[in-house]
Amino acid sequence: MSSPESVLCFESVSKIYGAEAGAVRALQEVSVVVPRGGFTAVMGPSGSGKSTFMNLAAGLDDVSAGRVLVAGQPMHEMDDRERTLLRRELVGFVFQSFNLVPTLDVRENVLLPFELAGRRVTSEDREWTEHLLDVLGMADRLGHRPGELSGGQQQRVAIARALAPRPAVVLADEPTGNLDTRSSRQVLDLLRIAAQEYEQTIVMVSHDPVAASYAGRVLVLADGQLVGDHAAMPAQQIAELLIDFENGVA
Amino acid sequence: MNSSLVLGSRREVGTVGLVAGMCGFYASTLLLSADLLSADASTNGGHGAAIGVILAAVAAVFVIVAVYVAAVVIVNAIDTVVAGRLRQIAMLRLLGAEACSLRGAVVRGATLVAAAGAMAGTVAGTIVGDLTRTVLVARGSLPHAAYAWFPGLAVPAALVITLAAAAASWVGSRTVLRATPAQALVGASMPAVEWRSVSPHRRLATTALIGLGGLVLMAAAALGERGGPGGFLLAALGAITSGTGILIGADRIVPALVTLVSRLLGSDPPSVMAARNAVREPGRTTRSTMGLVIGVTLVTTFAAGFAALRTAARSWDLTTAQAMQTDQILRNVSVIMTCVVVVSSAIAAVGFVSTMSLSVIQRKREIGLLRALGFTTRQVRAMITKESLALSATAVTFGMALGLGYGALGAQSLVGFETRGLVWGVPGTMLVGIVVCAVLLVLAASWAPSARAVAVTPVDALRAE
Repeated sequence: MSSPESVLCFESVSKIYGAEAGAVRALQEVSVVVPRGGFTAVMGPSGSGKSTFMNLAAGLDDVSAGRVLVAGQPMHEMDDRERTLLRRELVGFVFQSFNLVPTLDVRENVLLPFELAGRRVTSEDREWTEHLLDVLGMADRLGHRPGELSGGQQQRVAIARALAPRPAVVLADEPTGNLDTRSSRQVLDLLRIAAQEYEQTIVMVSHDPVAASYAGRVLVLADGQLVGDHAAMPAQQIAELLIDFENGVA
Repeated sequence: MNSSLVLGSRREVGTVGLVAGMCGFYASTLLLSADLLSADASTNGGHGAAIGVILAAVAAVFVIVAVYVAAVVIVNAIDTVVAGRLRQIAMLRLLGAEACSLRGAVVRGATLVAAAGAMAGTVAGTIVGDLTRTVLVARGSLPHAAYAWFPGLAVPAALVITLAAAAASWVGSRTVLRATPAQALVGASMPAVEWRSVSPHRRLATTALIGLGGLVLMAAAALGERGGPGGFLLAALGAITSGTGILIGADRIVPALVTLVSRLLGSDPPSVMAARNAVREPGRTTRSTMGLVIGVTLVTTFAAGFAALRTAARSWDLTTAQAMQTDQILRNVSVIMTCVVVVSSAIAAVGFVSTMSLSVIQRKREIGLLRALGFTTRQVRAMITKESLALSATAVTFGMALGLGYGALGAQSLVGFETRGLVWGVPGTMLVGIVVCAVLLVLAASWAPSARAVAVTPVDALRAE
């Protein structure tokens, strides 16, 4: 089922929190394949299992059943240490907030994944990183600490950090959740450009239809199940889709 | 205003009660011992009363040093607890609480805990002291005499401890004022710690006091060599002057030293993070390190002083029997003095462990982020252990260096004229003992917090507030 070109592959993945009576089924038998390249949005109302999906894809949490493959590697069979080592190599992150290590400056934050992987920063890496920071408009703020940056700037640095090591997949969890409209648009444009021009695979979890409208593919989760798999759609249409689900649920 | 709203559970302010209790215990046992010695002297027909006054004064000096260290620990404990609860405090402000009434609640809560601790410590110290003495008298090691069952001075001592704790919690709770109601709203970030620039007056005072103290110490050493009177008093004055200078300038000196020592940790990500974390809150770093510096300096000063005296005594013209007796006396007094001054180190160590573990708890989200980015659990543990190592290594090295200097110069000012050249001695066993204790302290301060830090999954940690 997982072709060599699949970067992220979920096979009948379930995640159950708690036990017996109080058990919560966060994900139920979800199967999906994300091929290399492209910008995928994972949508759904609150409590639909979006965050769980993201955590399992990143190897931040154990699956209860099923298989999770990242770049062909079986995450579900690994212990925490193996998953950590794999995460360093293959996954880049952009979170909703608190993305940057407060004691490190912009340059150090962006280079942290290289340091952690014990990877020497080649001249090619350096050029790429500088190019990214330049495009993101952060080139003149390399020595600043995160506390000295605005929310939008912090988020752009986080994107640079996620893209710099060219990971197999960049996972973005509500990357625009804390941003104003203008910064949101910039961040989403950047993600789309990274997917289109640099062939970077990006999976973004969001509940914002406008954010999802930037993606080339829209997956919809509801009650822990995959209920929709669509090609790019305008925000209006995504919003209607979600409202339908909310009404259906209620 | 209920203080638990601001200070959290009793466990979080447990450090305040513990160090106040240690001070109370220390004061009552020390005063009992002083009373015991003077009662003993009276029985032998000596000037018991006069000796009693002198011993009580000496005990008071040591108790004041211990209370000072405890106060520094309390400032840090309160500051750390409050800094970790700023959002909750901001929420209380949003609901209409005034900053000064919140701060008052902190001071009241901490003072109550300290008072209870001081009383419990005093009672426990008295009981232990009485029991020990009763056993010694029964065994015939001590003569029968009119010993006091309760040292009257322990009451004012407990009062001083409580007042010092109140003042310390007032200083430590300054952090409360950093929280504004708006920060309780989602998404608002807490202000970064302000880098208070050191005033030029203070920098001048630091340099002047250290320089002056150094000169006075040199003069005392020279006076000791020529056998002039008052050399030792002059040395004490010099040590106090330079020590005050170091305390005033500590918030510049200590972070600089810690930064220097952290360079030795390495350049891998956990070491770099450890080095940064060690100085991220310069005030907190300074206080938790300075307590240890004071403790180690005191212990080393006495140990080095007596080692120097013993070395000097060996070069004197004494019969074998006299030489052995002198050495024996000096060694015994050295052991007793070490036991008397080691309490300050113990109080500082309690503060160090508590500050370290609270700071790590407060970095829960950041550690979650690091784990998500690829820090293994082992790297997280290494990061925390190395931070603790950098801080305590700095404290121990600095304290030992100061103590060796003070001890040698003190001995030189006392008996320099009896010996050729500078009186100098290295208390090898004691230094090894201090290093062993420091290693144990590093492990104690980092084991529990790092175990707790890696027990949380990155997902939960990132979600934490």
